[in-house]
Amino acid sequence: MKTALLLAILILCGVFGDVSLAKGMKQVGALPTLRLGALLVLGSTMARNRAVLLGLLSLIAGFLTFLVLLAWADLSVIVPATSLHFVLATLGAKWILQEHISRLRWCGTVLVGLGVALLALP
Amino acid sequence: MKTAVVLLLALLAEAGGNVCLSQGMREMSAASQVGSPAIVALLLRGLANPTVWLGMGLLGVFFGLYAVALSWADLSVVLPATAVGYVLNVACGAYVLHEAVPPARWAGALLIGLGICCVSWSEMRPARTVRTR
Repeated sequence: MKTALLLAILILCGVFGDVSLAKGMKQVGALPTLRLGALLVLGSTMARNRAVLLGLLSLIAGFLTFLVLLAWADLSVIVPATSLHFVLATLGAKWILQEHISRLRWCGTVLVGLGVALLALP
Repeated sequence: MKTAVVLLLALLAEAGGNVCLSQGMREMSAASQVGSPAIVALLLRGLANPTVWLGMGLLGVFFGLYAVALSWADLSVVLPATAVGYVLNVACGAYVLHEAVPPARWAGALLIGLGICCVSWSEMRPARTVRTR
């Protein structure tokens, strides 16, 4: 029960973190060039964006949950569960970020999720 | 193309970060049989370990590059593409470390590769349609 709850927290933190970070980065705007000055400006804009900060906090919370889970559950249980992350985050991208997701992209996402789940088999 | 390069750099930073973190946490002792207060203490002790700090720095680089990729492309493209790290792990295990990789893991790596191809193709297709109009 404890493991299932932590797995749910891990997946939700990952999905929320990714969606929130992506939303924030769309608000911040595309990085025009990979020069140091542009990177510093981007970093300071990101540090003032609420969605980016929420996403970062959520991803850190997910990472700490992952570390704690490693002490209680086998990787062969944790990794297949995290494969759900790919599908749920894509659903979040469709519903919250209004991204257009074609059938081909859905197929690719599901294949990636299945592949990650298969990797954990003994 | 630039998104792919940045994502590849991000994945390298993530792999290095994970190795450093896991090595640092292992140095702090195994946590498999301890309760939650001991795990919190273990995490706090980990903060005093330089390898853990190096790992966190590399994961910070991963986060920055991942965020840059998200500023250029959709989440539904960037996120599945990050799974290429799993394929690299399997390939490195087999060809660099000469580990025995069971067929299920090869199948998983193949599915991930196919999935990433589908996602990348879906990203390129609209651009071609626009150009031909």
